[in-house]
Amino acid sequence: MGHKIFAYLDERIRISSLMGFLLNEPIPGGSRWAYIPGSMVFFVLILQFVTGMMLAFYYGGTPDHAWDSVNYIDHLTYNGVAVGRLIRGIHYWGSSIMVIAVGIHLLQVFLWGAYKRPREIMWLVGVLLLALTMTASFSGYLLPWDERAYWGTIVGTNMIGLVPFVGEVIKDAIRGGVGLGALTLSHFFTLHTMILPTLFILFVLLHMVIFRRVGPAGPFSGSPEKLEATKDTFYPRQVLMDSFGMLAIFIVILALAVLRPPGLESVANPSNAAYSPTPAWYFDWIFELLKLIRPEIVGVVGLPVMIAIVLVFLPFVDRKPVRSPFRRPISVLSTLFVLSAMLGLSIMAENGYKKLVDVDRVAMVRGQGVFNTAGCIGCHTLFGKGGKVGPDLSEEGLVGHSEHWLTVQFLNSKAHFPDSIMPDFTYLTPQQQHDLAMYISSLGRMGWPDPTKTP
Amino acid sequence: MDKEVTYRVGIPVMGPRGETLGRLEKVLLTESRHLVTGLIVRALESLHILPLDRVTEVSASEIRTTVLPEEFHGFPVFDPTQYEEVPPWFFPPGHHIELGALVTIKPLDVREQGEHEAMSRRAFMGRSVAIVAAAIGVSLLVPIGGYIMAAATTPMKDSWRELGVKLQDLPFDEPVGHSFRAVSVSGWMRVPEEKSVWLIRHSGASDPASEPEDQVLGLDSPLELKDSDPRLTVLSPICPHLGCEPQWHKGQKLFICPCHHSIYQLNGKRIGGPAPRPMDTLPARIADDGAISVIYEQFAIGIAAKKRLA
Repeated sequence: MGHKIFAYLDERIRISSLMGFLLNEPIPGGSRWAYIPGSMVFFVLILQFVTGMMLAFYYGGTPDHAWDSVNYIDHLTYNGVAVGRLIRGIHYWGSSIMVIAVGIHLLQVFLWGAYKRPREIMWLVGVLLLALTMTASFSGYLLPWDERAYWGTIVGTNMIGLVPFVGEVIKDAIRGGVGLGALTLSHFFTLHTMILPTLFILFVLLHMVIFRRVGPAGPFSGSPEKLEATKDTFYPRQVLMDSFGMLAIFIVILALAVLRPPGLESVANPSNAAYSPTPAWYFDWIFELLKLIRPEIVGVVGLPVMIAIVLVFLPFVDRKPVRSPFRRPISVLSTLFVLSAMLGLSIMAENGYKKLVDVDRVAMVRGQGVFNTAGCIGCHTLFGKGGKVGPDLSEEGLVGHSEHWLTVQFLNSKAHFPDSIMPDFTYLTPQQQHDLAMYISSLGRMGWPDPTKTP
Repeated sequence: MDKEVTYRVGIPVMGPRGETLGRLEKVLLTESRHLVTGLIVRALESLHILPLDRVTEVSASEIRTTVLPEEFHGFPVFDPTQYEEVPPWFFPPGHHIELGALVTIKPLDVREQGEHEAMSRRAFMGRSVAIVAAAIGVSLLVPIGGYIMAAATTPMKDSWRELGVKLQDLPFDEPVGHSFRAVSVSGWMRVPEEKSVWLIRHSGASDPASEPEDQVLGLDSPLELKDSDPRLTVLSPICPHLGCEPQWHKGQKLFICPCHHSIYQLNGKRIGGPAPRPMDTLPARIADDGAISVIYEQFAIGIAAKKRLA
């Protein structure tokens, strides 16, 4: 049966010749594990496409529904399995892993000297794909429309606004007005789900067409005769290696999605001036660098432009045919220096952020009981209900107080605020103090009502 | 041609006068006859094919041909569509083509021998790729299937809705179309909307004509049976044929659907038209003060069974 279908199609659309073309691509020097990062990036991109389409199934792209729809996705279950959180987790971690995979792919091509003549154009297309990846990360960041998304995008678009002459215009065009609002969300959604995927498909195809026209670069050492004699076809050995690479990256993404599902902070609140936004981790080093460079404009504009110039002009400036990284010590060492600087800056940035308390969900639920019985709601407002004497606690978990600070606040608030009129809740047992601290730390961060349950 | 021939890949191939023609590159087979028919020789400028019958002498160190240099130039440049290359995986384990390595081929059974092992290795790798791809595909597609079905299978809670109308205010044996405000839930969105039901107050509780046809035919679910009252029938406004809304025609004392002329009696019994079942009764409760509440159920249309949606 299968044979007959194959023969039928082969006669009409010449499958075997097509498969031969796709699979029997010669690889000089044979298959290697070193060649798998490109395929891994391709796989994660497809994973992002598939999970992204799934998220769009239930997403509502307006400020009054976006957060609700993401919260709805987080609560979607099928036969008790949290499928919504899983799909969103894969997409969320897939974007981070894709940035890493692109970085590794770029580094491998650089170390192997595979960007050199005649592969300059393929390199340029790759640099463009890197830019698309970063734009996709940036535009996807806003879509959940929570505090982190809103304030992160405020800062990100403000940085664009600093560009001389055209910055303001570009910023307002991206935002769809002076402020961040419904049009910004529509613009980002369109960019993220229509424009970028189209460009991705186009340029990934171009990247691959060029790759097949010019052929793989192969190892950086070895005589042409030796490479010719040891050459292998793409299928089956390299395909198998690639598929193992894809499986590995899939398992990593799946594990992260299950073990560390993405959070959802409280809905974007433009009047919450106390919120301190942090960028996605792969922009950490820029964040840190911006603190060191004055004036900001040099960092904001100069840095990306410098990176772009280096990446774009690299194959045209570095025209020596020698490919081995061991015989290009200056460029390799300077790259390693830049990479370790980025790593160091990222670590510095991460250390500088306020650490939010790691909430124990069981204690959080108990703490809610303590909160209700201790009468906190008499003075504090929570999600629109409660007293006005004390501060609104709806987003208290995002402030970043430590458990110790919170415990002291419960027992002796005058230690923090000498004029405080808050009673000292000294009767709370240590267990209750811990539970209450967990509950307060969760406010604005988790424990949202389940919209799939009809009231 | 049945004697064992040893080829040394990468060695110089020489003409009859000992001049170098090129280096041995590959061994050629014809697809149909399963025979080694020639050698591919790499000369400086391009690859050339030498027919095997021109090879007169084979030793461990060289292959000589009788081809004269002039003849050599007449040989076709290698065209992969005309011949089958012998790729590296073709050779049995331990016989990879490497520069200077010795490769032994028996011309007549070369395909049977070399190909069998090579193909089994190739097939093994192919199967491994398929297994990995299937593992990724299944572990991705199963959650996606659940994800798509999750919203569709989210159970709706039965919520009693008080209609704000009392039994004693209704006329006897005359359907009253009653509208009420409800909330339509779609995923994360709740939209207020207008719903309506037919309320029919019966004059004689034991009058057989007032017994809902659904009960007569035994179509009701336990919920509808439990919450039924002989004093009142509540009918869904939706025609079980294709979902239009039947209207009450006072003169004829019949419900008639404007779309396809399904005709029903007061108790929902179908007496004409294409509808597959009677009009659907809904669960109803009457409080002590006569206040009426219903559960607004919806049922699959177009089928004989009264199958509740979600």
